[in-house]
Amino acid sequence: MIASGVDVGSTATKAVLLDENRNILARACIKTGANVVRAAQRVFREAVQAAGVEEHDVTQVVGTGYGRYKVTFGHAQVTEISCHARGAAYLFPNTRIILDIGGQDTKAIRITRGGDVEDFCMNDKCAAGTGRFLEAAAATMALALEEIGPLSLQYRQALKITNVCTVFVESEILAHLARGRAPADILRGVHQAIAGRSVALMRRVGLDPEITFTGGVSRNVGIVSALEEKLERKLNVSSDSIYMGAIGAGLFALDRALAGEHGGEHATVGGGH
Amino acid sequence: MSDAYRYQGTGRNLQKEMLGEWFQRLSQAPARGEPVAYLFISGNIAELLTNFGFHLVYPEVNALQCGIKKTAGQFILKAEELGYSPDVCGYVKNDIGLLHSGNQSPMGNLPPPSLLVCNYSGCRTYVKWFEALAEFYKAPLFMLDVPYRRDDALEAGDLRYVVGQMQELIALCEKLTGRRFDPDRLREELARTRQAEDYWVRILESAKRVPSPFDSYFEAVFFMAPLYTLRGTPDCLRYYEAAWQEIEERITHGIGPAGEERFRVVIEGPPPWPHFRAFWEMFQRWGVVAVASTYSKVGGLYDQGVRHDPARPLESMAEYCMNCYTNWHLGLRRDLIRRYCHDYRADGLVIHSVKSCRSFSVGQADTREVFSKELGIPTLFIESDLADPRYFSAAQLRNRIDAFFEGLAHRKLTSLPVVEARA
Repeated sequence: MIASGVDVGSTATKAVLLDENRNILARACIKTGANVVRAAQRVFREAVQAAGVEEHDVTQVVGTGYGRYKVTFGHAQVTEISCHARGAAYLFPNTRIILDIGGQDTKAIRITRGGDVEDFCMNDKCAAGTGRFLEAAAATMALALEEIGPLSLQYRQALKITNVCTVFVESEILAHLARGRAPADILRGVHQAIAGRSVALMRRVGLDPEITFTGGVSRNVGIVSALEEKLERKLNVSSDSIYMGAIGAGLFALDRALAGEHGGEHATVGGGH
Repeated sequence: MSDAYRYQGTGRNLQKEMLGEWFQRLSQAPARGEPVAYLFISGNIAELLTNFGFHLVYPEVNALQCGIKKTAGQFILKAEELGYSPDVCGYVKNDIGLLHSGNQSPMGNLPPPSLLVCNYSGCRTYVKWFEALAEFYKAPLFMLDVPYRRDDALEAGDLRYVVGQMQELIALCEKLTGRRFDPDRLREELARTRQAEDYWVRILESAKRVPSPFDSYFEAVFFMAPLYTLRGTPDCLRYYEAAWQEIEERITHGIGPAGEERFRVVIEGPPPWPHFRAFWEMFQRWGVVAVASTYSKVGGLYDQGVRHDPARPLESMAEYCMNCYTNWHLGLRRDLIRRYCHDYRADGLVIHSVKSCRSFSVGQADTREVFSKELGIPTLFIESDLADPRYFSAAQLRNRIDAFFEGLAHRKLTSLPVVEARA
């Protein structure tokens, strides 16, 4: 029995395949791009190929993320809030708080021991303090997104970035550059600004000793470092952290498959290749 | 609705009909040379003004109607063109924009005021709103300063203060209209108001039933309109008699507002009028019924015992003025919501925070903390606006609402206690 979770995020689309023992058989991650339906289909096919199975071997697919209703071949949709909770509880059974920073939103989630969502808080409508904010900062400094985290760790004296607004941060960075400040010092400030905002969000659901950090931004070592400094503790960061939503969705799909809720329909993205 | 039911749809349809007639009377007022008074919903003193033959205009209701009829956006932009900041209340900007577009509202032509009565002072923006209107129309402005309920007990001095101002207003109205104050008529109207209020409370409290026959938020916003705009009139009483018959019929036949009731919630905060239908649907698809709400109390906390009393006309009106939801201090509001969660057997609390209204949104973050952390009541916090169509992100709202009810559904499934309201 194989189940799949497909997480269609604002920036990246991820898929995982799980067997009935909850082992991860395959992962795939692509840029979402403009065609959300096609991104979901493509990523699912990639995961199926990576696992060396056929599409019709997958009995249940659950879609999650902003584009969850665009997973046209999915059997059910679950919000990424529930999925990140489920995925994090699976990988880190003692975690009670999850911080998920994605392309355009940030969530703090408090879960029960069993992985049920007890409470959650999200950033307001603007993208301040999210992945988009880091992209804007990188672009302003003419750096690649992957470079800014490691570079920020070389800071000597972190500069204060007062703006977490994705639009206004640009002029603040430019002002620092114009004053001849070191890029690493500026970037440390940028990462600290996000960390500060994220910790405030986590405080709203209540801080707990074991915190799991998920979402695309958790791959940025600069953010991990700034968060750990602010929280004075280590965070759980899995190498699968970007797949956390997809893993959770896959676990929900597996529940359905085990409960026999496939209605005779196997997952197939349909159409020609 | 099936023909077998005699009263279904009455609450919505009769309300629509009566409001339509009211707007029609308003458009005809200038031609007939009849006086017009502008006032606010919260703590309004309708019966006192109609005593002098004033037609009543509620700019908030106009803004609300423009929102729900999807014309608010253009008026808000018009006000911003005139220099109003994006941060100013959407109701105010809608009204200012409407005024500068010839007062042609989707409901009809709105007459200019002969008198403005600023009867709600809990919101500074509202005071400024009426000051701006007074200047534009060159109409007299009467400031009825209603003290905020800052203590748990109602202060006798506060009541005397409000009654004293009402006496000043009576003198002003006599001067403006040339008509004598008619205390008998006031008593007669207040007696009708009181009866209508009794019916309204029965409708609201019917939602204590499981399943509930009535939605105290998404339906209440329509059912409360006659009590807010036509108070004291025979029509108003007739409306609530008919609306109650609809609810009784629903109880008899097991008709509910949401099909199968899956979740019972208390809702705090005003609705997003420009997206009202879409917002309601986000809850309907989960089988959610709002069994109690605070927004349905902005025009009076009748379910908390507030009543107009013909035996104490001005005193009871003053008590009413002070006992509208947003005129209560935060502790009173918190205790009220806690009682609602308990008495109406709610599964959770939904806080809809709107950018426009500080009278509502100040303190909501603390309310969220108290309910989710101290009281252990599942609480959802969502944000948009009551008037400005731009502050509504459907995908984000839906995501939060879905996640909240997914969590509640799972908790129900695993039979964890959902609400342990320590009343």
